[in-house]
Amino acid sequence: MHGMADIARPQPRQGRGMAVAGLGIACLLLLLLLLLVWLMPAVPGEPGQAETLHSILLWHSLMPRAALALLAGAALGLSGALLQHVLRNPIADASTLGIAAGAQLALTVALGMAPALLLLPREIIAFGGGVLSLAVVLALSWRRQLDPVTVALSGMIVTMIASALSIAIILARGEYVMSIFIWGSGSLSQQDWSGVLSLVPRLIVGAIATALLMRPLRVLSLDDAAARSLGVSIHATRFAVLALAVWLAASVTAIVGVIGFLGLAAPAIARYCGARTTTEITTGAAIIGAGLLFAADSLMQLLGPGFSDLAPAGAATALFGGPLLLLLLPRLRSTLNLQVASVSAIRRLSRPVVGLAVLFAGVTAVFLGALAVGASDDGLTFSLGASFADLLPFRLPRIVAAGGAGAMLAVAGLIMQRITGNPLASPEVLGVSAGGGAGLTVVLFLVGFPTPPVMLGAMAIGAVVTFLLMMALTARSGFSSERVLLAGVAAGALAMSIMTLVLAQGDMRSYILLLWLSGSTNNAGPLHAGIALGALVVLVAPLAFCGRWLTILPLGTAVARGLGLQVARARLMLAVLAALLTAAGSFIVGPLSLTGLVAPHLARMMGFQKPGHQLLAAILLGAGVLMGADWLSRLVIYPYQIPLGLFAALISGPYLLWLLSRKSGSST
Amino acid sequence: MLALPCAARAAAGPTVATLDWALLETLLAMNANVVAGAELRQFIDVAVEPTVPAGVTDLGLRGIPNFEALYHARPDLIFNSNFYLANEARLSRIAPVETHSIYLPGESPFAHSIQATRAIGERLDLPSGVKMIERLESQLGSQTRILAGGDGRPVLPINLGDARHYRVFGSDSMFGEVLARLGLTNAWTGATAYTAMAPMGIETLATMPDAWIILIPPHPADALDALGRSAFWNALPPVRDGRVLTLGAVNPYGALPAAGRFANLLTEGLARAWNG
Repeated sequence: MHGMADIARPQPRQGRGMAVAGLGIACLLLLLLLLLVWLMPAVPGEPGQAETLHSILLWHSLMPRAALALLAGAALGLSGALLQHVLRNPIADASTLGIAAGAQLALTVALGMAPALLLLPREIIAFGGGVLSLAVVLALSWRRQLDPVTVALSGMIVTMIASALSIAIILARGEYVMSIFIWGSGSLSQQDWSGVLSLVPRLIVGAIATALLMRPLRVLSLDDAAARSLGVSIHATRFAVLALAVWLAASVTAIVGVIGFLGLAAPAIARYCGARTTTEITTGAAIIGAGLLFAADSLMQLLGPGFSDLAPAGAATALFGGPLLLLLLPRLRSTLNLQVASVSAIRRLSRPVVGLAVLFAGVTAVFLGALAVGASDDGLTFSLGASFADLLPFRLPRIVAAGGAGAMLAVAGLIMQRITGNPLASPEVLGVSAGGGAGLTVVLFLVGFPTPPVMLGAMAIGAVVTFLLMMALTARSGFSSERVLLAGVAAGALAMSIMTLVLAQGDMRSYILLLWLSGSTNNAGPLHAGIALGALVVLVAPLAFCGRWLTILPLGTAVARGLGLQVARARLMLAVLAALLTAAGSFIVGPLSLTGLVAPHLARMMGFQKPGHQLLAAILLGAGVLMGADWLSRLVIYPYQIPLGLFAALISGPYLLWLLSRKSGSST
Repeated sequence: MLALPCAARAAAGPTVATLDWALLETLLAMNANVVAGAELRQFIDVAVEPTVPAGVTDLGLRGIPNFEALYHARPDLIFNSNFYLANEARLSRIAPVETHSIYLPGESPFAHSIQATRAIGERLDLPSGVKMIERLESQLGSQTRILAGGDGRPVLPINLGDARHYRVFGSDSMFGEVLARLGLTNAWTGATAYTAMAPMGIETLATMPDAWIILIPPHPADALDALGRSAFWNALPPVRDGRVLTLGAVNPYGALPAAGRFANLLTEGLARAWNG
């Protein structure tokens, strides 16, 4: 068990210290509120009316907003503390468990596709989505006794799938995006007390329920057997606490949107400040959550021009999430010695070359099929002759771009799995493709409308920096599975929060970013096809000389060194290659496709064991999978099209979930 | 109404297609032989007029247009705008492409709409283009006379994002230009980013106490209900004094048909409000 679950023991001196610190913080917050009131811009117009409106703004906008920030922060802090306690997982919160993303998806669906659903209160819809996400996450990690790493990973994947669906819906609705952007990024702006009034009773009920559950909660921090012997119904208590936590988080999401990672930060800071007992941690988390959100929101107002928000508070707090997760890593010990299930070969191929030939034939068939068969108003159409020649310029570039991107992502995933010795490593899971997205975001801010080569360069820098940073951070632990995966989740979260800041602007830049996130190949022309093929050849060719590295590195640093390998140099070179492949691949299909994870697995499952064979097979499979997905994505809702990246994520996501839910098999 | 008079006559001439909604409504209104347009399902909700004849091929999302569907629709001529310039190379493989941009940063969309309408009319040999311009000018003229007898208050056309945020349109937007041509003052004098500014917090409405608030749908289903319950909204002078108008849906990024529709709905609404 980890630090958080230390046996409860009251520590009066620390309690007094906390009280003093609390008082200091309260004074600071009060100061901030006074500053807000003092700096509030004056209303123009005739004096009498201006004064009335000013007081309306003060009492119906600024004050409820401050109160709501405190309440929402407290609710999220409490929710995070409860989740962390009951799951015995210091990185659990509404963001990492997919609750926020699930709630957001449910509301997006209601807003965009089924307005009739909006007759229900928003909280109910959000709660439904949140519960559903959490249920999936818990079901996946159930057989591993809710192991923290498995829970965090499942949460990340559920978040990814939910976001992919949300983006698909937003794109499909065009004009309605404005409200979804604002809502998704957690804007606290208010013009009456209704948000506050609806949150107050919830928070009170939550506090009372927490107090009532305090005894069973305390007992829960012992292990299950001890708890059971004390007569606590473990499952009932756990479910009650979980439901309470989700309800609190979903209520906040329904009222103000996603406030990223606050539930993660508040309890962590409470513990850092010396809170030890369950009571201390839950109260501390609620108070600190309130203070944090209020401070963040006030700063955004004060820093923005003329009191218009610099950024939505929810997007701002999300920026803390990534670094905080990284800080928490050393404190996290997996309850299981994680051996992530790696797929095992169905049977070992006796003649892999023949297997490769068969695979090549299959991929060629997909390629030709995608070239020749398309939809029209009359249904599926097989094009030959003149119409084939006419359609070729539209189909060939996108098929080549998709295939090249798939191959590159597959190779990137394979390298990552080999150098970390971790079967779940891949550009998407390790946050490397999201890191590329962060690079793209930065260049969108600097340049405005960058050309494709500039975009590609920025993404390459973002991906390389992200991956090297992660390798550096996890090298000390000898690339232990948990550390690598969690650092990946953290890196991905940080990159996503940077992108959220731009998406929240709702301008042309956010549209470019949204299109990239969705990974559409529709606009791929000869340039994209050329980039895909060129980068594939240039970046994969060096691997012909790296076969030995790829064989030896998964065996671990000690063995590799014993065999005379310059481990650090080999890792560095391969890491840079993998990051560049990721950048080029996700330039075309976006960061969500999961091809980098799936293709190497399929290759292994088919029985390609040697690095060389697995590499070639992964290239073929990656290309084949994305070409096939691209083909389907233009057929299923013709004439409308699902962007390839989203489509691939929606196919591959469930596979990854299934992989996680299996009992550990053989490792890589 | 501006768009309707010649809708009954069967379209003839070269077949045309476009990805741009402003050009689409222009083509439909001048009764060109339109065979394909983008995102028609949404267009019908947002632009409402002119009606899209049955048989016009839907090309899918504007951002992700389906080139194969366009190919099957076999247009003789494709009209494109600066928004979809990235697609130009692929479009020109299907048919010759002519570009008419209406929304350019810092330039007048109204003037560009007139230019585009005239040019497209000449290109397709349709006199309805020039007629459309003349009809709109005389329509705006008579509406200006009606509105001159009003209360002289500024007007604030907005789109609601949700119950707490809105989008406002500046003097460089189509709505802003129509207001100017109708002799009305736009209440929003602040900066815009590319004709509009969003998201604006609803509390900023307090800075425009004299205005008529003009709500332009479509907006999210629950936004209006939530506004009605809001203390702040109800305390705003325009709301308190009944100076809020909800029009029918108008495409904020349209061309002359949208301008005419907006002028019609606004004049009708304001005149009814003034006369009780």
